[in-house]
Amino acid sequence: MAVCIAVIAKENYPLYIRSVPTQNELKFHYTVHTSLDVVEEKISAVGKAMADQRELYLGLLYPTEDYKVYGYVTNSKMFRKLHNSFTDVMCNPFYNPGDTIQSKAFDGMVSVMMVQAS
Amino acid sequence: MSVPDYMQCAEDHQTVLVVVQPVGIVPEDQFFRIYKRIASVAQVSIRDSQRNLYIRYRHHYLPENNDWGDFQTHRKVVGLICVTTCGSGKEWPQTSERFHGQKEVFGATLYDSRLLVFGLQGEIAEQQRTDVAFYPSYDDCPDVEKKVEDFVESIFIVLESKRLDRATDKSGDKIPLLCVPFEKKDFVGLDTDSRHYKKRCQGRMRKHVGDLCLQAGMLQDALVHYHMAVELLRSVNDFLWLGAALEGLCSASVIFHYPGGTAGKAAGRNPSAAQGQAADAGKRHRPGAQEVLIDPGALTTNGISADTSSEIGRAKNCLSPEDIIEKYKEAISYYGKYKNAGVIELEACVKAVRVLAIQKRAMEASEFLQNAVYINLGQLSEEEKIQRYSILSELYYLIGFHRKSAFFKRVAAMQCVAPTIPEPGWRACYKLLLETLPGYSLSLDPKDFSKGAHRGWAAVQMRLLHELVYASRRMGNPGLSVRHLSFLLQTMLDFLSDQEKKEVTQSLENYTSKCPGGMEVITLPDGLRLHPVPFTKLPIVRSVKLLDLPVSLRPHKQKGLMENSMSTKSPFIYSPIIMHNRGEERNKKIDFQWVQGDVCEVQLMVYNPMPFELRVENMGLLTSGVEFESLPAALSLPAESGLYPVTLVGVPRTAGNITVNGYHTSVFGVTSDCLLDSLTSVRTSGCLVEVIPSLPRLQLSTSLPRSAHPLQPSKEELSSSVSVQLFNGETQQLTITLENIGSEDLETLEITSKISNTKERLFGEFLSWRPGGGCLTPASEARPVWSPSLSTSSQTGLLWRREPAPGPDDDGISVTGLPISSPLRQVLKPRAETRPPGSESSKTDYNHVKMLEAVMTFKYSGGAGKVEGYYRDLTLGLHVDVEPSVFFTRVSTLPATSTRQCHLLLDVFNSTEHELTVSAQNNQDLVLHASECQRMAIQVDKFDFDTLPQPDQETVRYTSLKLLEEERLHAQASMINSTLGITWDIPSVRRKGEASVEGVLNQLVLDHLQLAPLQWDVMVNGKPCDCDIIADCKVGDAVPLEVKLTNRSKNTVGPFALTVVPFQDYQNGVQNYDLQDAVTFIGSNTFYIDTVNPSEESLCLGALLFLYSGDFYLNIKFQDDSVGKEPGAGQGKELPLSWFGLPSIHIRAQEAPMEAGA
Repeated sequence: MAVCIAVIAKENYPLYIRSVPTQNELKFHYTVHTSLDVVEEKISAVGKAMADQRELYLGLLYPTEDYKVYGYVTNSKMFRKLHNSFTDVMCNPFYNPGDTIQSKAFDGMVSVMMVQAS
Repeated sequence: MSVPDYMQCAEDHQTVLVVVQPVGIVPEDQFFRIYKRIASVAQVSIRDSQRNLYIRYRHHYLPENNDWGDFQTHRKVVGLICVTTCGSGKEWPQTSERFHGQKEVFGATLYDSRLLVFGLQGEIAEQQRTDVAFYPSYDDCPDVEKKVEDFVESIFIVLESKRLDRATDKSGDKIPLLCVPFEKKDFVGLDTDSRHYKKRCQGRMRKHVGDLCLQAGMLQDALVHYHMAVELLRSVNDFLWLGAALEGLCSASVIFHYPGGTAGKAAGRNPSAAQGQAADAGKRHRPGAQEVLIDPGALTTNGISADTSSEIGRAKNCLSPEDIIEKYKEAISYYGKYKNAGVIELEACVKAVRVLAIQKRAMEASEFLQNAVYINLGQLSEEEKIQRYSILSELYYLIGFHRKSAFFKRVAAMQCVAPTIPEPGWRACYKLLLETLPGYSLSLDPKDFSKGAHRGWAAVQMRLLHELVYASRRMGNPGLSVRHLSFLLQTMLDFLSDQEKKEVTQSLENYTSKCPGGMEVITLPDGLRLHPVPFTKLPIVRSVKLLDLPVSLRPHKQKGLMENSMSTKSPFIYSPIIMHNRGEERNKKIDFQWVQGDVCEVQLMVYNPMPFELRVENMGLLTSGVEFESLPAALSLPAESGLYPVTLVGVPRTAGNITVNGYHTSVFGVTSDCLLDSLTSVRTSGCLVEVIPSLPRLQLSTSLPRSAHPLQPSKEELSSSVSVQLFNGETQQLTITLENIGSEDLETLEITSKISNTKERLFGEFLSWRPGGGCLTPASEARPVWSPSLSTSSQTGLLWRREPAPGPDDDGISVTGLPISSPLRQVLKPRAETRPPGSESSKTDYNHVKMLEAVMTFKYSGGAGKVEGYYRDLTLGLHVDVEPSVFFTRVSTLPATSTRQCHLLLDVFNSTEHELTVSAQNNQDLVLHASECQRMAIQVDKFDFDTLPQPDQETVRYTSLKLLEEERLHAQASMINSTLGITWDIPSVRRKGEASVEGVLNQLVLDHLQLAPLQWDVMVNGKPCDCDIIADCKVGDAVPLEVKLTNRSKNTVGPFALTVVPFQDYQNGVQNYDLQDAVTFIGSNTFYIDTVNPSEESLCLGALLFLYSGDFYLNIKFQDDSVGKEPGAGQGKELPLSWFGLPSIHIRAQEAPMEAGA
């Protein structure tokens, strides 16, 4: 299960970020932030070749000692749920694209996916 | 070998290492000057071989690393240049000794060495030695480069010989086993004769020869040797050396593929690690250098083949770019098997990353780096850690991973001030932190944040800013801390929690107590400019509105000069496009003016976003265009206030166009200049306003209290207004005092008044003027209704008070109309007419309070503003509530005894709640209780309305008939009023006033009151005779009777016939007309009067003879003959009967006394 889930906007700032061990949130911020380099690299590299049939699964982005950071995955149920939830947020007519996600439903979905902090 | 050289790159494999060191006492700056000159000789073209030799200089090199020289020859120190100062010949032996000592350090590997001696002259310097060069001083050494080149050539000769030596002895001779330091003990007692051992020796030697070839500029040879070495070593599983051979292969291929080098510009970023190397990185490779290649077939010969066939071999031996990476990976995995080869592994990783960066394969590069991060080099010093993180950061930057780069840079920065370090390097930490800013997409210019909402990794950015603040504070630069903290507060305000907001502001206040923040640009030593951070969010300004001056101070343009200001650029009268041109709104000129020297106001709507009270000090306006004296305000905004209006004031000191550019504040000890141009969220209706030259300023005060409520028809804005309650007919005096409180002299003053509600018809004058003060002239008011005390000297003295104008002398005032210095006294006389509807039933109407309103305008000007054609208006609103006092409910007339008089009967109604006394001229007072109605009779002389002025022809032409009639009635009524002089007095409240009969008069009453146009005079015995006069005559005497007609009408009257009928009144209702015996006429009893022209007289004479004594009356009867006889002569209509009001004549006939008769 995940310890931290972040949705990043196109311009590389977080729309949503939440982690389970709340006491060291900043560390996750740093981890996610740095792994964006890899996402950027992967997207730009693939984009040149085949922009249309881009695989959304980016796989392992960046392993640290304690955690592994994965990019967007569609063929796993976990990410599909997140994706659907995110689509719902985007469909909300009152949501301004680019704003921080504050949806309760989305929050609930993320909570389900998170490791239950013991 | 424990210290890695992070600056290494693949092409370093082809260099030879030369150490340059100072010996003895050499000033550091001088040494580095010489070092730089030496290092400039990084590449030497060998004269007769077309080959190039590359040299890597180091001024510091661990002998320990030198031990790895056999493993990779570029790690071997082959040359030594010593620099020394030698003042005299005496010191020379010692210096020489030291030089030799230095040589001993690297002795085993040195090919050659040189000593550069500075400062020595004379005998010793004269001697010719190849290994020593003498220079008189550090400034006078022109041929250092030449010497170094010679030295490099000598190294090349040795290198070439070694290469040839090693390359050729592939005979059966025993090949020594080359090994790295840590291997030495492993090979003790190994069977040197085994095939395995021999192969190992061969392989290692092959690799070594490859290194030498590479150094000697024979790339192709090197490739071949490396290939062979790889084959040999792979077969014997000599992994460490296999790795080295593979790396050599990669290096050679890299050199071939990327002649531009892989170090890139990044090498220049670490000045301490690679001085010299960086400067010459670009020069190192000459294009076409690798063209000098040797055919693999010609390996053993020393010849140089220009044969084109070499191309084939080159392509075969050289690795493709993809293979290079594969081989690097392999090599690194082999190195990884040896714990002691950590440095080699790390350096290989760095080299590979540099290659990948050139190949733009960032993902793979990051894998190499990731690997490098985990290589454990054992216990590292803090400095080494910093260096390591910095280099990782640089490498990440190189491959475009800016965030990762920033992350490591930040780690390095934190390492600088790690708690274990006794002397934390806050300066370095701060410098490194600044370098991380781009990685976190954070710019320190607040302008970048003004566009829309801030988007970014707020949590991370905030942390970084906090660290910057802390580092700069520890650096001892509170100014920087304030700047960073201000920036944090300004840009991250939306992301700070309430608690954080409190903390940040508290620490900001702490810092600013030592070093107040300002608006100046802080320039850091390395050239970074920190822009000022204006607190545009503390408080947030929502709108800026320039306020017009108060009504009384607004300047107006003279009408005559209007055309200039009215001119519009557009030929169209109206265009909707201009209306919607919002872009220019800020620069639009506002259509009111400010006046020089007057306090002008700008209203800001502000909002405090903080969860606590915000104290804003020294808040003022920033303006341009006109000299402006801003009067700063201090305000305190409650926590999370709503929109809060703040008025900033200032005084323009010169005339012209003023633009409000923004405002300045001082919050938490930081002063900010907030310009409106950069605040997109601020609404404004224009910031440009004209300032006109100064005008005088009048202050108005009245003797009556100011009214709280404004006038009903608020179409006009009034500077002040007064209200008063009056009874109908009452008069109230109002004293208005004007004071010039401005700095300019008053030159003109014009006073006008206007009654504003005209729905109600007004009878009489509502306002009347009387200028007060010294030149008090009586106003149109005839009666002095004012208590004398009002015009006493004390009052006048008070009114004469005059404000001293702090300008030039007052004498130059020109006065138009009224004297300036005299206050004006105004007389108010409301006579609101409540026309009774005629019926008594509508009495309730009388209690209705009427309202009267009037506006008085004082137009004044003076000073420079007058020259420009401006003036000011001071308006005073008058509000009068008129309560009914007395009414005449009915008016009627009774004829008096005289035809020239009549009795006017007035039913007076007291509609007040007080007891009231009504008095008329020559009449007794009448006391009326509240709501009491009484009749009063006044005997009046009849009026001659014809004496009233007639309206002139002009007026008649343009006024309606009805209006003319009304005017006539009004004139008549006022004449009656003034004659009657009816006044009322309420003793209980000490109020008195006048009552008017106007409005109750009807035509009938008027006719009765009017003096008939035909005036009849009857003379008996030559004495005029009227009603009450008794004419005496004697019985028997002829009594002459004279009837005179004076025509005062405008028309010809007559002819008339008059018949005199005598009768006796018995006073009991019986009148005896049968008097033929008592009275006889001498002549006819009928008079005939011919036509009388206007203003002419006609006289008839007759005589009577009384036969008996007694009281007789004469009734003169009258017949109008004109109608019947001459229709055209008269008016065409019958003259009214009242015109023929002839007096009845009373004659008392008495017996003549005997004596008189005798």
